[in-house]
Amino acid sequence: MLLKTETYKQQSSIAQYCRDGKEVAILNAKPERLPHYRRLVFNVVKDALETTYPISHKYIDSEVWKEIVFNFFSEHKCKDPQVWRMPFEFYEFCKTKNYDEKYDLPFLNNLLYFEWVEVELYMMEDISLPQFLYSDNWLQKRIAVNPEHKIIKLEYPVHMEKPFDTVNKKGDYFLLLYREKETGRIQFTNLSILFTFLLENIVSAEKTLEEIFNDILYIFGINHLEMLQNESFKFLNDLKTRGFVLGVYKK
Amino acid sequence: MNIKTGIGFRKDFAEEFLTGSVLKPGFVELAPENWMKIGGYWKKKLNQLAKMYPITSHGLSLSVGSPETLDMEFLKNVKQFLKEYNIEIYSEHLSFSKCDNAHLYDLLPIPFREDAVKHVAERIKQVQDFLGRRIAIENVSYYTPVAAEMDEATFVSNVIEEADCNLLLDVNNVYVNSFNHNYDAKSFIEKLPLNRVAYIHMAGHTKVAPDLIIDTHGEAIIDPVYELFEWTLDKVKPVPVLLERDFNIPELAEMQFELNNLEAIMTRKWETENKSIVVSK
Repeated sequence: MLLKTETYKQQSSIAQYCRDGKEVAILNAKPERLPHYRRLVFNVVKDALETTYPISHKYIDSEVWKEIVFNFFSEHKCKDPQVWRMPFEFYEFCKTKNYDEKYDLPFLNNLLYFEWVEVELYMMEDISLPQFLYSDNWLQKRIAVNPEHKIIKLEYPVHMEKPFDTVNKKGDYFLLLYREKETGRIQFTNLSILFTFLLENIVSAEKTLEEIFNDILYIFGINHLEMLQNESFKFLNDLKTRGFVLGVYKK
Repeated sequence: MNIKTGIGFRKDFAEEFLTGSVLKPGFVELAPENWMKIGGYWKKKLNQLAKMYPITSHGLSLSVGSPETLDMEFLKNVKQFLKEYNIEIYSEHLSFSKCDNAHLYDLLPIPFREDAVKHVAERIKQVQDFLGRRIAIENVSYYTPVAAEMDEATFVSNVIEEADCNLLLDVNNVYVNSFNHNYDAKSFIEKLPLNRVAYIHMAGHTKVAPDLIIDTHGEAIIDPVYELFEWTLDKVKPVPVLLERDFNIPELAEMQFELNNLEAIMTRKWETENKSIVVSK
């Protein structure tokens, strides 16, 4: 490095001041003007977080939110050069710091994660559709789906209700989120545990639908194959109407 | 088509660029960080945009002034993005936005020191070698000097010359700095390597105290900045000029009015001498 230690120290000091606001001595600087840097830098971070997490920002007490954001920026070293991706680091930071317990916000991790996944899916790079055929015979085939999706599990139904209304509703909530190819909009749908298993197996594209049904019969202890098939076809047809199920794999 | 004055592409009024009739820039500028490695709705809009306008790019996160090593993965993505959209002008700021491996997402002033000149110039050279092109570096606005041992003009000039890069001359930043640090804007510009000016930025600013202006890009360009711009054009070869407007977005007609003002000055100063400006599509 061609930079002298003293020069580096000066840069490090102003950068650290922008992150935590603690008073620093910087050579030849005009101290009364330093707060403008702190304000400008902090506003970028604050705005990016409020844009990504509008529900969290709306419902969490403003003083608590301010404190969390302040802690994040002063303690965490943001790694991603793309500012729109930085909020994921915020989610991870909150999780690591157990802020759900500290601030008595049991839904916090779920809410941040749900809001982040929506942004991530909305912005993620395009993934080419698999080569598929339209077919009425799904049973002996592998089902092809829109690859721009995510199946997630939540403990609080933050995708359906206001955050504080979910506090006493801890459970297992499975969701499919996907990006519509034409519009780029994010859609989500609730899943039962059985359909989650079905979809996860369809997505892995290793088994035919018939093979997956056989696994379900065994794992879930179900005796009624016909009922399973009927309900599953109804579910998959609905996803086909919505553009998530595409058809069957060519090969 | 107008190929001289451009404006920053913003999501707030993206549709206007694509289907509207009020705003008629000759090119658009965007920050690679906000547009690379994305898909979906905004990727489609970007592809539409690229078919309609030449694009220039102005980076935010390369942080040429950082003490640490360059982020080569990031640069690789920038290179790919520039290639994908056939972007000829890639510019960055003479500042740092990352330190101790923490991104700050805004522009902090580099100490005006000899070792910093060498350090930053070396990093710019590395970037240019990797990208296989000369980049343009912008003189930034700053609100306090940090451990300065030389004046700003000397620092900027030495970095540009030593890195053998182009200069993005931000005329508004010169005005802002001359006000904030009490120097003569024209003398400052005369000290810069004006033969290396490849791109010009113009913008508005906000006076927040009797002795302090912040470079907000949130107001219309004021007359003294237009005057400085006009004076500057006599001293540089014809280059693309960009209007920056990031906040407090007015009616689009007002921004087009500013673009027209800039173009009228450029025409008066440059086209009368049969100079031509090209921004490749």
